[in-house]
Amino acid sequence: MEVLQEQSREWLRGLRERDEEWIARLHALLLRAARFEVARRRPTLSHLRGNELEEIALEAADDALMSVLARLDSFRGESRFTTWAYKFALLEAAVKLRKRAWQGREVPLEPESWSLFASEELSPEAELEQSELLQALQAGISEALTPHQRRVLVALALNGIPIDVLADRLGTTRGALYKTLHDARRKLRQHLSEEGVSIDAA
Amino acid sequence: MTRPDLKQALGRLLGPAEPEIGCDECFEQLDRYVELELAGGDTDAAFPGFRAHLTACPACREEHESLRALVGGEQVL
Repeated sequence: MEVLQEQSREWLRGLRERDEEWIARLHALLLRAARFEVARRRPTLSHLRGNELEEIALEAADDALMSVLARLDSFRGESRFTTWAYKFALLEAAVKLRKRAWQGREVPLEPESWSLFASEELSPEAELEQSELLQALQAGISEALTPHQRRVLVALALNGIPIDVLADRLGTTRGALYKTLHDARRKLRQHLSEEGVSIDAA
Repeated sequence: MTRPDLKQALGRLLGPAEPEIGCDECFEQLDRYVELELAGGDTDAAFPGFRAHLTACPACREEHESLRALVGGEQVL
């Protein structure tokens, strides 16, 4: 433990002094993490060429380097410095790859997948119960939510738009969008409970 | 379409019933959570609402899986 803390302290000392060698070491560490993320997602990125993926990893490492240097004072030594730094590179790479996957694609904000809820092979009783649940959900979404909550819930939870992509299109942040999603879900649960609909009907 | 699919779709719409943290807190705690998790510690006690958030937020779930895989892989080497 003591050795790990000493390693973290060395990182902090070198980076606070903006020592070129430490900054180069940090960049190499962040690039390794960004490439790791790109490699993990590669099977879903068949439309991107190898050099495009490497460019994304490099950009992610560059941006993560800026984030880490700007936030050095928020590192409190409660984890290893390397673990703490890695998360910035993984986030930058993941966000860039999600955005790239949705580049040029329309982001649907209206329900397009109510059919998700259509089940086959149900008994008539179960089908009735389920159709009541479905009606209550649709009514809750159109009546209990504000227009913004409705758009966010539908886009994220029904249409499967990645949260970073939606934040980008709506000019907001991921944290703010998640708060909206959370509030919308709470209101929808409350609506179902007031209507006496059990979600166990699923 | 079977009932497990409906349950999943409902889960995405309604989120977890228990309290959860938000994306910003999740990112802030992520490194400490992963290290405790890899050490076999009690993450639910140390980070209330973290696991509920991972079930409800696909983006944070992916980033958690990546950090755990990256750091866990290094520990094995």
